[in-house]
Amino acid sequence: MSSPIPLEVDGLSVRFGPRRALSRVSLCASAGELVALAGPNGSGKSTLLRACLGLLAPAEGRVRLFGTDGTLLSIRERARRVAWVPQEEAPRDNVRLLDYVLFGRFAHLPPFTGESEVDRNAAARALAEAGLADRSDAGILELSGGEKQRLALARALAQEAPLLLLDEPTAHLDIAHQLDLFERVRRQVRERGLCAVAAMHDLNLAARFADRIVVLSHGQLVSDGPPETVLSVPLLREVWGVETELRRDPTTHRPYLLPLRSVAQGILAGPADRRLGPVHVVGGGGSASPILRRLVEEGFHVTAGALPLLDTDAETADELGIPYSAEVPFAPIGEVAQARTRELLSAARVVVIAPVPTGPGNLVNLELVEAIGHPERVVWYARREELDYTGGKANELSRRLLAGGAKELNDLDALVAASRQAIPTGSPLAVAARG
Amino acid sequence: MLAGVSIPLGAEVRILLHQTSFGLLFPSACPSETLPLRCAAWTEILWDAVVPEVLLALLVGAALGLSGATLQGTFRNPLADPYLLGISSGGTLGAAFLFIFRVGLAEANLVLPLLAFLGSLGTGALILLASRYLGGSIETLLLVGVALANVLSAVLSVVLLYNPVGSIQVSFWLLGGVGGASWGRDGLVLGGLLMAGAPLMLFGRQLNLLQLGPEVAQSLGVDARRVRHRLLLLASLATSVAVAFTGVIGFVGLIAPHVVRRVWSSNYRAVLPGSALVGAAFLLLARDLSVIAAPPGNLPVGLFTAFAGAPFFFLLLLRHRRGVYMGGGG
Repeated sequence: MSSPIPLEVDGLSVRFGPRRALSRVSLCASAGELVALAGPNGSGKSTLLRACLGLLAPAEGRVRLFGTDGTLLSIRERARRVAWVPQEEAPRDNVRLLDYVLFGRFAHLPPFTGESEVDRNAAARALAEAGLADRSDAGILELSGGEKQRLALARALAQEAPLLLLDEPTAHLDIAHQLDLFERVRRQVRERGLCAVAAMHDLNLAARFADRIVVLSHGQLVSDGPPETVLSVPLLREVWGVETELRRDPTTHRPYLLPLRSVAQGILAGPADRRLGPVHVVGGGGSASPILRRLVEEGFHVTAGALPLLDTDAETADELGIPYSAEVPFAPIGEVAQARTRELLSAARVVVIAPVPTGPGNLVNLELVEAIGHPERVVWYARREELDYTGGKANELSRRLLAGGAKELNDLDALVAASRQAIPTGSPLAVAARG
Repeated sequence: MLAGVSIPLGAEVRILLHQTSFGLLFPSACPSETLPLRCAAWTEILWDAVVPEVLLALLVGAALGLSGATLQGTFRNPLADPYLLGISSGGTLGAAFLFIFRVGLAEANLVLPLLAFLGSLGTGALILLASRYLGGSIETLLLVGVALANVLSAVLSVVLLYNPVGSIQVSFWLLGGVGGASWGRDGLVLGGLLMAGAPLMLFGRQLNLLQLGPEVAQSLGVDARRVRHRLLLLASLATSVAVAFTGVIGFVGLIAPHVVRRVWSSNYRAVLPGSALVGAAFLLLARDLSVIAAPPGNLPVGLFTAFAGAPFFFLLLLRHRRGVYMGGGG
């Protein structure tokens, strides 16, 4: 082909009547690359794929296929460059699998002629790639959903187009068939140098198989890059409206995410400080992790600190996208960390103190809590006197706070209830949170 | 068996062979014991009335079967047939105008088919035109056709309300028949059938691909919209030719493709010629039944297509409830 770049989308807009389904989207996809298109429902993934296929006309911008403007290609020429795997095959007639895959050869047939040996070989090869070689004489209605999608892939492969577009091809499949299908697609990409662009709903699947993830939201391109840079807690919150915990697969180093809860509407596009809170948690060594996680799940805006970097609680805060003040490990909390912690503390409506062992290095955290001068905002969670390694200073401080109105609680439900109560309903913050 | 008049079978065969071999096989049409006058009458009945009628039944059946198969494939709808879209209603309306203006019978022989033909072809064209302005999805096309059919039959009702005499003639027209066949008419129908059928046979592959849905078909290289429009035009042509000479004969176009799909193949490269064959055989059968049931041949064939076709169709549906039908070749 004339250009090495299979797909170039340049400032593409697509309209449905007055509605703009796609707004100046630009992206490229190269040979040997599997690109995932991600985005919530209605974000424009399918629209983008359909525009690349020539099923929708661009209102602005253009789609170039191997260097040629898509609108200049005939439908047959396009079919020789781009193949398509739809979300679902819904066959009505019980066509033999081999015949079904031969449908993919249409664009290669000279007018008014039948399939030649070349076409039959291509079809047989494609069936084998899809793992259906031994069933070529079966009827399509005998296939399971997963096999039907593999058959759709086989038909697309028989087309021998160097660009493969897939529209959520595993949307209706069980997990084994999901993995199987994308493994086959990736093999084609790796071994045959195909370029594949797939709309994908399952972000973990996308993170696992895609070389790049392109995120669309409301018809606009929001992010484009390798999975580990694209997937982030704030992006998932902003685009999908979901609080997640982001981890890293220790063997593949690909990110994978654990959805926690959806964020109520109305907070979705808003800045973080419009959510319920903030609630600040003082912890360390993993003592605060369950609290952080529960509070995030309950919809609170949570802050933490000061925490040593690489500490379990710091990792949890990272995964949950919680802002926190940090200090380097095994060092006393320094001036900068103290200032940042003071800032977070004074913004907090509720301060939770986790059952963290207190020594000379982190006593300053408690001192900072006392220094903001609102003991009534403090909740001491699962307080135990034996955690004091400062020779009684920490316990003395805790008694002072409790005397000043701090609460002492021992289970998370009560903690959540108390935090809710402490943030007055009807306040601008709470109203915003209810959306 | 073929005619209302009983001619000995041997004589029938002999006359037919004589006529088709231009007198080479049998120098005289009838056995020597037959009176020459009777022989001439038999020959005339067979050759100028029965044979053209049989041929007309075959040709019209083929046209309707082909048209039905094409429309079912084009619309991916097993209920589609030449009459659902109002193509035939246009023909009926065209014919009705003739009855209303009371054109003399001599002229009617020529003008009636022409008006019916133009009426139905015009309706097909109108559907295409409308779909072009309305976006042209399959559903739109189908709805436009159905709406048009309703409008046309409403217009027809109004027209007939004010012309009670015409209404009897039109109701015969509505039931359809192959009476009044002639060699000339057969030639016209054959011409029309070839004009529509020959190109249609080349669309088998495209029709197969259209069954996967317009988007997949297009991704495989089929210009779905353009192909659909061409198919609709050709199916209208085939229907119009049939409607012009026989009026409205229902059911043939609907069931012929189903029969082929159920007993042979769902591959459109087989369904198209197969439906033409089944349609031809079916209409001939209906025509023969109508002759047997009412010797003068006055019961409209259209009634028999429904009488004979519906039970047969039920039987087919029952027997092949869970059958597997495969197509060969893409």
